[in-house]
Amino acid sequence: MSIVLIGLNHHTAPVEVRERLAFPEGEVLSALHAMTAREAIQEALIISTCNRVEVIAEAADANELRNFLYDLKDLPHNSLNKHLFQYTDTDAVKHAFRVAASLDSMIVGEPQILGQVKDAFQRAQQAGTVGHTLTRLMNRAFAVAKKVRNETGIGANAVSISYVAVELARKVFDTLDGTTVMLLGAGEMAELAAKHFITNGARRLLIANRTLENAQSLATEMNGEAMSLDDLERRLPEVDIVLCSTGAPHYLITSQQINQALAARRYRPMFLIDISVPRNIDPAISDIDNAFVFDIDDLEAVAEANRQERQREAQRAEEIVQTEAQRFAASLGEGNLNQVIGVFRREIHQLALDELERSRKRLGELSPEQEEAIKIMLNSLVNKFTHPIIRQLRESEDGHSTYLEAFREYYHQNKE
Amino acid sequence: MTFLLVVALILYLTSITFAFITFANEKFRERAAVWVRLSVFVGFVLHTNSLIVSWIRLGHFPIINLKEVCSFIAWALVGYYLLVIRRYKARALPIFVLSATSILLIFSLHLRTPEGPIPSSLSSAMADDTLTHFILPVHVALLLFAYAAFVVTVGCGAMYLIQERALKAKQFGAAFRWLPALNTCDEIAQRSMTVGFVTLTLGVIAGMVWGKEHDGRFWHNDPKEVLTLVTWLVYLAMVHYRLTAGWRGRRVAWLAIGGFVAVLITFIGARAMGGYHIFG
Repeated sequence: MSIVLIGLNHHTAPVEVRERLAFPEGEVLSALHAMTAREAIQEALIISTCNRVEVIAEAADANELRNFLYDLKDLPHNSLNKHLFQYTDTDAVKHAFRVAASLDSMIVGEPQILGQVKDAFQRAQQAGTVGHTLTRLMNRAFAVAKKVRNETGIGANAVSISYVAVELARKVFDTLDGTTVMLLGAGEMAELAAKHFITNGARRLLIANRTLENAQSLATEMNGEAMSLDDLERRLPEVDIVLCSTGAPHYLITSQQINQALAARRYRPMFLIDISVPRNIDPAISDIDNAFVFDIDDLEAVAEANRQERQREAQRAEEIVQTEAQRFAASLGEGNLNQVIGVFRREIHQLALDELERSRKRLGELSPEQEEAIKIMLNSLVNKFTHPIIRQLRESEDGHSTYLEAFREYYHQNKE
Repeated sequence: MTFLLVVALILYLTSITFAFITFANEKFRERAAVWVRLSVFVGFVLHTNSLIVSWIRLGHFPIINLKEVCSFIAWALVGYYLLVIRRYKARALPIFVLSATSILLIFSLHLRTPEGPIPSSLSSAMADDTLTHFILPVHVALLLFAYAAFVVTVGCGAMYLIQERALKAKQFGAAFRWLPALNTCDEIAQRSMTVGFVTLTLGVIAGMVWGKEHDGRFWHNDPKEVLTLVTWLVYLAMVHYRLTAGWRGRRVAWLAIGGFVAVLITFIGARAMGGYHIFG
């Protein structure tokens, strides 16, 4: 038995292939049960998201697992082979760690995948299809993901436009607590940014639109305050952050308005984001002290720089994953060693007890004290006999010595 | 006390190193940040001890000659910095402040001024009267505290200008990522400026009172007095425009630099010009 991982993801397969192998929520349980019903598959776990379908199993044979997948999905054997990847042992462990640590994600470092993997593990736990090995593997994978997140900057910087806006604003205001945000227009990206600002501490949201009705409906939806565009100039001094995304063909906010607003608010800084094309905020505002304007290209540039930074950090994360995977695979070997020793000890012990039973007739009636004395004698004999062998086994703890292999093979055959 | 000072200096330099590590290495960021604070704190305690030991041994507070004064400003700077970081998180600040501290300490350690009794020009005045005896160290200490606050002001002003430039020019490099938010720089600068201005004013008043007790004159037209007046006026302008016209940000940052140049001229220039404020 070894750890086997078979799957496909956005790197290896287009969506029309991925959807053919995907497991909808309702199918996962029955698939897991069907899988572990097979003799060659002891433990199994399915990760099925929009970007990947992966099966991790403790199985005797990877090919059998693959064929079983085809059967399950009613696909001809080998039909998707060029899209499938297949790993065993250390490679499988490494891949599982990479997925959990978000190194295999479309946007490297995005945090959702860890939650999805945790869900998949939980579902397999409910189904009762994960045992000792996969539980250890997944717990380790979660720990590695946490370590990667803590020790590298892989998730540190924003890579989405709407979040970059928040990050930039923090470089002006430090904290967004208590700030007032004005949302101009109903562009999707500006709306998303507004939500980010609110979840990051902004206190008030003003929503202005060409028609007051639109503003009002959006205001109820986003728990903001609707206002008319005509009031723009009057309300500007209250506003710390302006998010603008309208279809207007001209500047809605001019230098003069910002100058006045700044004077009215005693030059507390103003932060303006213009995601509209053509732009709605006069770029000349950038020349005014304490006013900071960023357009879509600026945000994109930050996002791009952050993406590159993430790539660099991903390199370091890969090193962590590599080391951890090797360590884990080695410790699996250790587990096997303990199992082998356990089996060995039990068998010898059983052997001794069996001999005792065979000799009982000739021994006649034994008092409890005698019975006890014989058991103690047998025990100590077994320990004396096994001790040097076990010590030798432990000394070849790298798990690859021929001595250990021979021993393992002997006991494997014996068990069968 | 040289030994204590050298150890304190090493700890300050260690702290700077850890401050750099907090930026360069994500892995050790949290741990490095702890070491930044710990080394500064232990360094500060040793530094304080060295001042106390000198005080006891000399029988007067050690802020008479340049060697002592540099060490004292360095100490005041660290003390003020420790107050600031209780409230603000500004990871780049220790690099600015502790560099200034270290330079002052190195300079102080480098000076070979012999430790000795108070120069005769002062001792005669201090011996006779308890009030003057007490007020002279207060006068000097207050002014040196003001200088320390102005160093923090100018450090934050500089950080503000660099960060503002990065934001306006849309250059999102190391400066952008390392330096604190504009509002943080601005707030620390403004508060430090107020603290510095108040202590400067009190220090000048203390000096005038001492002068009056000593020789009956508030004002001696000494170069240091004149230059201090200029410095005081620069900071007065800053406080004034902030309160009345709401000046902040870039303008305050430039004023902070202007004020600090005045401080430097007062501190260094007055020595070159001589006068009765020079005591070795």
